[in-house]
Amino acid sequence: MNTRWDYLLIPSFVISFLLLAASQITFLQGSLYTDLGLGRLATSASAANYATLLNDEFYVNALLLTIRVSAIATACTLLMGFPVAYVIARMRSRWAMLMLAGVVVSSFVTIVIKVYGIIVIFSADGGLNKLMMALGLLDRPYTIIGNQTGVVIGLMQFTMGFGVLLLYSVVRTIPVSLEEAATVHGASRIRVFWRVILPLSLPGVIVGALMIFNMCMGAFTSAALLGGGRVFTLPVLIQRAVIIETKYGMGAALAAVLLVSVILINLISVFLLKRLRAARLVIA
Amino acid sequence: MTTNTTLPATPTRRALWRRVRLGAVAKYAWVTWAYLFLLAPMAVVLGSSLDGTTAYSGVVFPPQELTLKWYRQIPASHYEALGLSLALGLSVALGACLLGIPAALGVVRGRLPGKSLFLAFFRAPMQIPAVVSGVAFLQLYYVFGDATGLFLNATFVGLYLGHLFVATPYVIGTVVSVLQRFNLRLEEAALSMGASRWSTFRRVTLPTIMPGVHAGALYAFMVSFSDVPIAMFLTAPGFLTYPVELFFGIETDFNPSVLASASLVILFSLGLLLLVQRVIGLDAVVHSRG
Repeated sequence: MNTRWDYLLIPSFVISFLLLAASQITFLQGSLYTDLGLGRLATSASAANYATLLNDEFYVNALLLTIRVSAIATACTLLMGFPVAYVIARMRSRWAMLMLAGVVVSSFVTIVIKVYGIIVIFSADGGLNKLMMALGLLDRPYTIIGNQTGVVIGLMQFTMGFGVLLLYSVVRTIPVSLEEAATVHGASRIRVFWRVILPLSLPGVIVGALMIFNMCMGAFTSAALLGGGRVFTLPVLIQRAVIIETKYGMGAALAAVLLVSVILINLISVFLLKRLRAARLVIA
Repeated sequence: MTTNTTLPATPTRRALWRRVRLGAVAKYAWVTWAYLFLLAPMAVVLGSSLDGTTAYSGVVFPPQELTLKWYRQIPASHYEALGLSLALGLSVALGACLLGIPAALGVVRGRLPGKSLFLAFFRAPMQIPAVVSGVAFLQLYYVFGDATGLFLNATFVGLYLGHLFVATPYVIGTVVSVLQRFNLRLEEAALSMGASRWSTFRRVTLPTIMPGVHAGALYAFMVSFSDVPIAMFLTAPGFLTYPVELFFGIETDFNPSVLASASLVILFSLGLLLLVQRVIGLDAVVHSRG
């Protein structure tokens, strides 16, 4: 009776393979044709798009900016989300359900709606600025809209709900009894965190961090709307190239650079995680 | 570990109490702050959509004068976009289940070599940055259209395939994680008591993987319903999903009725959450994350 399960795989595999291969191959191929303007492409393939990209400081900086902004947003999400996930996972009351519901709602609602909220809160004549100025904490309005702080906050809004859910399931895999055992033997809370909770959750946290990082690298809503046309991350440039300038070849080449960087960063992280495991710095 | 002959010095009760309380206060302050950060943008959208004094120049929060007038002024294009997003999300969730459930069963139950390779393959769309998937499908439709004369960009089918591509891994992930915890003896018991294979599948296997299916379908729906980077490339003026419609709304006309329709979507999400909690339980959704 075991063989029939294998056959189930075939239709899904074929469809998924076709979608993956066809889309990736055509766009990678498209990146080899230079743009002649008005959406027309050159007739012969060349690496000219890539040569333009890699020699132009603007594009290289955009790639570095994208990586930096995504990495900062990932770190902030983990830092802010882990205690929340921990508290919910260790809660034994009905409040845990309610807190979880708050997180799930946040991950349900599209980032564009949350961006509207961020604009209302942080705009120069928005509530936060009025409050801060009334309290005398600021003497002139400070806005995050149009700079990298705004983009990071937008990305955090995008990933936080998802991140907390992910970390929650990581914490749930650590038995409470281990923490209790450490406490009984005289470990302080801080020591329990460093020697028990952190090592045990680190593999899950790293996997989660990579997923959050990948989400940030592929998102352009925050950068496009909160960057105020001044923060050019790679996804923003891709959208501009394809939709506004109809430079399909260039857009595809930019997308290829983004894809390759994400894959490389993922591979390096997985490799480093394996090394950490081998060195027994991480239990997993 | 060396055995301690003397127990660590016990701090005085007051010192212990102070330390515990300080730690707890810091922890709860941090969690409160995180929730404020998480929920404030949505609360502000809900609040300012009710404000009567809201002028076109700027949005007022907290509301000064309560009104529902912005809800009456929601443009028809928003309802059309919402309709498209709902239809798309539901059909993507259904398609992702039809593709994902057999794939998960095949990978976990089959005796193929290289199972982890198959899993990695099925997860690949999650690793590809969303904006890259959008560009890739647009290019695919151009090439396909040039070859066959059938252009799929800005059609329901084109958008559907793009969303199906990114949503299916969620169903596979949740069903695989439920299947890996599944007790095979249950099936063996049913078979040995004379149940047919089909009836064993329908009466034993399917009910047990249902929590995973529900969770995966919910994720698939949400991925499609909230997506911007893919829909951005595969839609066109007059054929926009709700998030893309809102995206352009921010840049062109910041109109308080946008806040009203956004509030409707937030309320819809809350309603969906209540429904999920009633029907399958929030726990099932969170725990079967792949």
